[in-house]
Amino acid sequence: MNHFPQAWGRPRDDVYGAYNHSYLQMTGPKQHTQSPIVTGTSVLAIKFKDGVVIAADNLASYGSLARFTDVKRLRTFNDTTVVGFGGDVSDMQYLDRLLNSLDIEENYYPEGHRLNAQNLHTYLTKVMYKRRSDFNPLWNAILVAGLDGEEKPFLAYVDLLGTRYSSPSLATGFGAHLAQPVLREYVPDEKAAENLTQETAVEAIKKCMKVLFYRDARSLDKYSIAVITKEGVDLKEDEKLENQSWAFADRIRGYGAQVV
Amino acid sequence: MTSIGTGYDLSNSVFSPDGRNFQVEYAVKAVENGGTAVGIRCKDGVVLAIEKIITSKLLKVGANKRISTVDRHVGVVSSGLVPDGRHFVARARDEASSWRKFYKAPISTAMLSNRLGAYVQAYTLYSSVRPFGVTSIIGGWDSEADIPVDGQVGNGPQVGAGGKVTDVKKGGPALYMIEPSGQYWGYYGAATGKGRQAAKAELEKLDLSPTGISLEEGVKEAARIIYVAHEDSKDKEFELEMTWISSLDGPTKGRHQEVPKELREEAERLAKKSLEGDDDDEEEEKTGEEKMEE
Amino acid sequence: MASAFMQPGFGEAPGYSFSQAPTVAASGAREHSFYPYTDNGGSTLGITGQDFAILAGDTRSTSGYNINTRYAPKVFRIGSDDESGAGGHIVLAVCGFAADGEALKERLDAMVKMYRYQHGKPMSVKACAQRLATILYQKRFFPYYVHAILGGLDEEGKGALYSYDPVGSYEREQCRAAGAAASLIMPFLDNQVNFKNQFVPGSGVGHFLEAREPLPLPRKDVEELVRDAFSSAVERHIEVGDGLQMMVITKDGVEEIYHPLKRD
Repeated sequence: MNHFPQAWGRPRDDVYGAYNHSYLQMTGPKQHTQSPIVTGTSVLAIKFKDGVVIAADNLASYGSLARFTDVKRLRTFNDTTVVGFGGDVSDMQYLDRLLNSLDIEENYYPEGHRLNAQNLHTYLTKVMYKRRSDFNPLWNAILVAGLDGEEKPFLAYVDLLGTRYSSPSLATGFGAHLAQPVLREYVPDEKAAENLTQETAVEAIKKCMKVLFYRDARSLDKYSIAVITKEGVDLKEDEKLENQSWAFADRIRGYGAQVV
Repeated sequence: MTSIGTGYDLSNSVFSPDGRNFQVEYAVKAVENGGTAVGIRCKDGVVLAIEKIITSKLLKVGANKRISTVDRHVGVVSSGLVPDGRHFVARARDEASSWRKFYKAPISTAMLSNRLGAYVQAYTLYSSVRPFGVTSIIGGWDSEADIPVDGQVGNGPQVGAGGKVTDVKKGGPALYMIEPSGQYWGYYGAATGKGRQAAKAELEKLDLSPTGISLEEGVKEAARIIYVAHEDSKDKEFELEMTWISSLDGPTKGRHQEVPKELREEAERLAKKSLEGDDDDEEEEKTGEEKMEE
Repeated sequence: MASAFMQPGFGEAPGYSFSQAPTVAASGAREHSFYPYTDNGGSTLGITGQDFAILAGDTRSTSGYNINTRYAPKVFRIGSDDESGAGGHIVLAVCGFAADGEALKERLDAMVKMYRYQHGKPMSVKACAQRLATILYQKRFFPYYVHAILGGLDEEGKGALYSYDPVGSYEREQCRAAGAAASLIMPFLDNQVNFKNQFVPGSGVGHFLEAREPLPLPRKDVEELVRDAFSSAVERHIEVGDGLQMMVITKDGVEEIYHPLKRD
C-alpha cells in the first residue's frame, strides 16, 4: 500500500483539501507518552497479621468523564500476589500482559522458582525505572500486595518514576491524602500491623473507600477488594459501598431535591 | 526396507520413484525406539503420560522432566530423540507466546497443533535439514468460559452491540499428535513410542466419548496403559511421568500441571495390581464404538 | 483547476479535508510534560574520626507534603555479600531522588563486588570514591539527582569520607551534611567538628585570638553529635524525621544503629 490516497480514487484535493499525512509520520521525533489518557484513581492497602488487604474502585475516567465503570484494577499474579494499579489504564493493560507472560515462562519449569510479591515488586521497579529513564514512562502508581520470601505480609509501592517504598499501610493518588491518615491510625508502625486482625483490616479499607467516594470526584461506589494470606488470594471484584450516609446533604443546595 | 543402495534415502526432500520420503520413514524408526507416550482426552480434561526408561542409576529420580508446559493450558510430550523434542517444545512456546502478543488471548490447542504441524512438515522439504526424530502429543484445555483476553479490564456490554451471546458451547479438551512427516490428527486417545501397539489396543477399550471417562479415571488408565506397554521391555526399569489439564472447575483450573504425587502413586499401585491379576483373565470384551485410527 | 493528483510534501502543514483553514502546528520545540525527577526529601550526614567513619540519614521519604513511608533507608552497605553486611567495608549515603539513589547504589555495589571477584581483594575506599565519581559523570547530561556521601576506612585505617555533587565532582572531607536539612546541619558541624569560630580562651584579643585546633573526635562524641544534629533538624525541617539510621565503619566492620526520631 502506498500513502498517496489520490491514487486510490480519493475525492479531489481542490474540493476537499489535501490528504493529511500527519497521521502516519515517518520522520520527525518519536512521540512518547506525555500524559495519561484513561485513568484509574486511588489504590489502598493495609497489612495485617496474616497478610494484606488491598482495594481499588472499578472506575476508569476519561478526564472528568466517568468513562468505564466496570474496570478491574486489581490483578492477581501467580495465585499469590495482587497488583493494584492507579493511573493510565492502557499502561496497566500492558503491564498485566507483561506479568502474564512472565508467569507463563515461570511455569515452564514445574519445580522451578516461584516469584513472590517481593520479587514481583523488584521486577516492576526495574521496569518502571527503565521506562522513566527512556523518557517513555508507564503512567501508573502501583501497589504490590502479597507475601515475601519468608511468607510474611508484604506491601510496597512503585510509580512512573521508579520511586519505591514500603509501609504498613499505603495509598496512591487521592488516597495518599484522604485514606492514608485514616489507615495510619490503625497501623502506625509494623508492630501494630503484626497485631491487626483481618476483620479490622477489611473494615479499615472499606471505611477508607467510603471516604474516598465521598470526596474524590473521580471515584465510584463499586470496587474490588482482595485479601491475601498464606491460604491464597480472596478477590472480590463486584463490591458495592455499604452504609453510605448522605444525611448531611438534605440541607445543602445542589445535593438533594430542593426546588428553590 | 528395499531402499538401501538405491540412493533415494540419502537426502531429505527427495522422493523415491514410488513416492516415499525415506528420511521421514527413518525418523519414524527413531520414534519407534522411544519410551511409550500416551495422551487421553477425557470428558473433563486431558492426561499426558510417558514411560521414562532409566538409562542410568546415576540419574536423579523425578528429575529430567519429559513433559513440558507450553502455555498455561497446553502440555506437550514427545517420544523419540529427546533434544528434538526440546526444540519442538521451544518452538511451541514461541508460537503460543507470539499468538498471545498478536491476539492478546491464549492460542487454541487446535491452532497450536496446526502451526506446529506446519513447522515439522517444513523439516521434510529441504536437503539442508533432517526431519524431527519425534512424534509429539499435544494436550490442552481450551477455556470454556469467555476467552480471557490478556490485559482485559472489564466485562464489556451485557446487552446490545458487543453484548454477550449466552449458552454458546465452546472450549473443552483437545488432544493432537504430530508425526515426523508433519502429519497430525486430533485424537480421543493417542500413543507413540516403543509400546504404542499395546497402548493403542488398551486405549481402544476405553470409553473416550464426550460423556465417557472422567479425568481422574483417565489418570489411572494412562498409568495402567504405560505399565501394560512396558511389559515387552520388562528388563528395563522405568519412571512414570504424568501431567494433566482439567476444566476450569476441575483440580487444575484449566492449567497444565503435574499430576500430584499421591494421585500418581495411587494410579501406579492400581496399575501394578491390575497387571498381577491380569495373566489369565486377559479376554475382555472389546467395547469398540469408535475406531480411533486407520 | 489544480491537479487532482497534486502531492503535498511531507514537510508541509497538514490540511484536513473537513477543515476550513489548515491547522498549523505550533512551531518550535515541543516541551515534554513528563519530568523524570522528584525530590524525596530527607537528609544525610557523615563524620570521620581517627579510626572510624559514621554515615547517617533519616528514614523519612516524602512527596511534597506527604509522608510516603516512615522507614526508607538512605544509607547502604556497598560490596557486602548479603543483607547482613558481612564482607562490606564501604558505606554510601544518598539523598535527593530516591529512585536514582537506589539505582546508583546498585551499580556501585555491583562494581565493588566485581572488583573483589576479579582482583581477589577488597576495593580501597579511595578507588571506590573515584569510581563513584565516574559513574555519576557518565550521566552528566541526565544526572542521578542525588547528593552522595561515601564513607569507609583508608589504607592507613583512618576514617575516610567523600562527598559528591550530582554530576560527580567530589572531595575528601572531615564531615559533610547533605540533603534537605544540609543548610541547618552543616554550620553546626563546622562549629562542633572543625571547631570553626572557637578560640583558645585568653589567647589574645580581637584578631589575635587563637583559633582552637581541630582534633579528631572520639566515636562516642561523634555519635552524640549526629543524634543532636538530626533531632535539631527534625524540629526545623518538615521533610526530616521518623527515624535515624547510622552506620559506623570501624576495622571490625560496619555496625548499623537505629534511633527513633519525632514523627510529626
